[in-house]
Amino acid sequence: MHKKTGLIFFPAFDWAISPTHPEREERLLYTRDQIFEEGVMDLPQIHEYAPRLASIYDISRTHFCVPQVQNQVTEAHLIASGSILQLADSVVSGEIKNGFAIVRPPGHHAMRVVHGNRGFCNINNEAILVDYLRRRHGIRKIAIVDSDVHHGDGTQDIFYHDPDVLFISFHQDGRTIYPGSGFSDELGGPGAYARTLNVPLPPGIADETFMYVVDNLVLPVVNEFQPELVINSAGQDNHYSDPLGSMRFTAEAYADFTQKLKPNLAVLEGGYAIETALPYVNLAIILALAGIDYSNVREPDYYPGKFKESPEKVAQVHRMVEELLKTWNTRDQVDFSQIFGSGKYYQRKKFIFYDTDYINEQQLEQVRRCNECPGYITIASRARRGNPAPVSIFAITIPLQACQACHSEAYDIYDQAKKKPEYDYVYMQDKYTDKYRTYVKSKGQELVTKGLVENAKNYSIE
Amino acid sequence: MYIGIDVGGTSTNAVLLDNGLVRDSVTVPSSADIITSLLEALDKIMTNVTAESIERVVLSTTLITNLIAEKKYTPVGLILIPGPGLSHEYYQFHTDTLIISGAIDYRGREIMPLNDDEIEKAINILSTKGYKKVAVVGKFSVRNNKHEQEIVSKVKCLQPDWHVEIGHQVAGQLNFPRRVVSTMLACATRDKYSFFVESVQAALTMRGIEGPVLILKADGGTMLLNKVTGVPIETIFSGPAASTLGVQALIPPGETAVVVDIGGTTTDLALILSGQPLLSSKGAPVYEQLTQVRALAVKSVAVGGDSLVERVGQEILVCPKRLGPPFCMGGPMPTPTDALRVLGLTGVGNAKQAVEAMEILGQPLGISHSEVAQRIINSVINVIVQEIENMFTQWEQEPAYRVWEVLQKRKERPNMVVGVGGGAAGFITQIAAKVGGSPVIPPYAPVANAIGAAVAIPTLQVNLRADTERGYYTIEQEGYQGKIEKTRFTEEDALLLADEWLKKRAEKYGLGNTVSNSEINHRDVFNMVRNWTTTGRIYDISVQTPRGIIGHIGAKDGFSNA
Ligand SMILES: [Zn+2]
Ligand SMILES: [Zn+2]
Repeated sequence: MHKKTGLIFFPAFDWAISPTHPEREERLLYTRDQIFEEGVMDLPQIHEYAPRLASIYDISRTHFCVPQVQNQVTEAHLIASGSILQLADSVVSGEIKNGFAIVRPPGHHAMRVVHGNRGFCNINNEAILVDYLRRRHGIRKIAIVDSDVHHGDGTQDIFYHDPDVLFISFHQDGRTIYPGSGFSDELGGPGAYARTLNVPLPPGIADETFMYVVDNLVLPVVNEFQPELVINSAGQDNHYSDPLGSMRFTAEAYADFTQKLKPNLAVLEGGYAIETALPYVNLAIILALAGIDYSNVREPDYYPGKFKESPEKVAQVHRMVEELLKTWNTRDQVDFSQIFGSGKYYQRKKFIFYDTDYINEQQLEQVRRCNECPGYITIASRARRGNPAPVSIFAITIPLQACQACHSEAYDIYDQAKKKPEYDYVYMQDKYTDKYRTYVKSKGQELVTKGLVENAKNYSIE
Repeated sequence: MYIGIDVGGTSTNAVLLDNGLVRDSVTVPSSADIITSLLEALDKIMTNVTAESIERVVLSTTLITNLIAEKKYTPVGLILIPGPGLSHEYYQFHTDTLIISGAIDYRGREIMPLNDDEIEKAINILSTKGYKKVAVVGKFSVRNNKHEQEIVSKVKCLQPDWHVEIGHQVAGQLNFPRRVVSTMLACATRDKYSFFVESVQAALTMRGIEGPVLILKADGGTMLLNKVTGVPIETIFSGPAASTLGVQALIPPGETAVVVDIGGTTTDLALILSGQPLLSSKGAPVYEQLTQVRALAVKSVAVGGDSLVERVGQEILVCPKRLGPPFCMGGPMPTPTDALRVLGLTGVGNAKQAVEAMEILGQPLGISHSEVAQRIINSVINVIVQEIENMFTQWEQEPAYRVWEVLQKRKERPNMVVGVGGGAAGFITQIAAKVGGSPVIPPYAPVANAIGAAVAIPTLQVNLRADTERGYYTIEQEGYQGKIEKTRFTEEDALLLADEWLKKRAEKYGLGNTVSNSEINHRDVFNMVRNWTTTGRIYDISVQTPRGIIGHIGAKDGFSNA
């Protein structure tokens, strides 16, 4: 018997950002109707799992939630995240061949530091999954392909300096859509150059050019990267009927893409054509993952030849694909000191806007350049929400692959930062020992989230 | 007084309940004809009481189960309208299936019209092949039955004497393939069921019984024995439901228990969680095909007292088949019952023959007859215990679609392991020890199923879905679709409407106005927003009459709420 495709369907019928927000109860209602009426859950190729809750600890491994995880996540977030971890466990154990989490709320706009909700996201489900896979299952090399119409800026932010995560995002050109980033020159930091690839597509691009990008860039790069696991951030707002996007993809093309990429895990992200796209796209993706004929799935108003692409735009995409392939192929021959300088730290300044919560954040991110490991990262962040006084934090993250020198250096910096008057909170995210600390300046108190005992033993350096 | 009768595969049990006590019980062997068995048991149980004193009779029969298992029905042709979606090759229902173009979407909008020529052609093909029964089922017909209705009127016009069954009237939930199976089986069994109903009613009238006569359903509810109301296939698998309800009546209220019904070839397992029998989250599977029949979660394990036991190499295996009665009762091969006899856990059969049966298995392996017996019992127990664990796990891992449902998920362990059925006595103590509950074999355990039938009450549900933007609503259980008259139709209005329909259904099911306290199963409200303005609401509301039984056997105040 062939292995099944695992599904977790969690429409959160009792959760909304607000009654009229696109992230409201209704979002997956018609998808529910479609997949239930088709009897998808009864198919012998499908196994439906129950959702479960992620722990606060799973979130702390990935994010710096200000001031604490509990302030940034609701139970719905924990269920969406936990459902993905459930499917990951089942994929890794070999119980299922792949899994699809049709869950809400989404997460790909959530960055490492979380002051509030941006782009409908509070916590990044894929990033939490990656950190979990590494800690729980020892999986290191992972590829994430983001097929949402919006740039997966949160995921990019979190893995920008991680050489073991390949992040490819194709999306509508940032000059024409939220969040305004994801250009082809955003390629990752000095330690992870070309492990971030962005393909901004001009509005109006349809299935043919979508497949061109997949066949000529996404698939060859993913194959060469040789990941242990492939994740698809399966946003569906590239669909031709999406109210937020201006692309022209069909349900069938989403399924073709899924069949080609063969992700081990697919995670629903955006997609707000809740009637005209989601029921069909979700159904098509499920069938594609399960290896079932999806050729009879089609939108009621679609007919072949409905969309004509502009030849100039197509040529523009072809050129960009060629350019990016070249960057990928020559990624090890680059003189990094020319691009990134040659200091002890590589740093970037970021201005982050939280559209849902109207928060403005300024960040200074510094990466310790190290020949032995990817280096720790420090982030000084200051965020203002409306009138109240801004919140200042300092955060340090030590990667799982950290060397001894970086590890102890990072702790020195943590101790120094705790003494600095300008920070309200100081965070230490030590993925090496799986311990997460928050120092609350006003109380002079340190909170520690302790790791999974059985794994902490293996990694403890104390 | 109440009468409950369970017509099972091997025996028919009847009980007479009087003010919460079992006044009498009888068991007669089942004959080939269900009505004969039923009336034999009825006449015996009525020997000392008058017909006027019988307030109601509830039957549980294998009628539909047998009809379907033995395929004793004329074939049913299918006319389906699946539209786009899953490839049509997936619709294999082992009968002539004609696919008509046309499509309705999830909100009941027509997205592709029917084609009259195709319909006529389909009817002609079925007619040429000799079909006289047809099931007509469309995808999303529960949201809009227009296409189904149009095809049915065409059939009625061209073939007025055909028996037609319509999807939305048989199975109102979302799930097209299950709706097809349910409708096909409803079509297949309707006439035989009607014949059964007429015969039983005539026989009861002859005996002067005037109280209501009801039939038990797979979900443990009842429906009036009436050939027009309800769907016959809902009475499939009422046997396990009867046993479970019987146990519910025989143990104190509120208990969490496992019901272990060990028969000759199968063991049926059911769960009672905090006093309520667990319903299956999916519809009942009928011989490999899933239906939309609401049923108790019953797990059938292919092991029982008469199961064949064989030696294969060094192993002694309990096989999932029966070759006859136990060796100690003159059967051909060793069975678990022989093992029980050897260990003194049962008194049936001949002790010497039981030892002989164990020796047949043990001698080539050089092990004693008592050790063989212990091994057999252990393996039977292990299979059953494993399945009990699986049932609990499965229940804990049922999908949930709302935040509150995920948060209220709990773990439960049984306090009691209750044995009913012929083979239970010998096994139950050891099963309970492994599961971690106390073993119970209630009084009247052998007739628990008839008690279950006697205490069953009708449970009625109404699922209302109202779409204020489109201005219509549907009632799942009735296949009804109607207009929303009010311009501002609120959640309160939707609840009132659902309650109104519940009362209507109660009337139809002969419950009069007893539906005073309805329960809300769930109420989902979906704000519909298009272009940033609210354009309507979808209400998805489910109400039901309280589930339960008339009362518990031996309760101090009798059946007070009867
Ligand atoms: Zn998006
Ligand atoms: Zn280092």
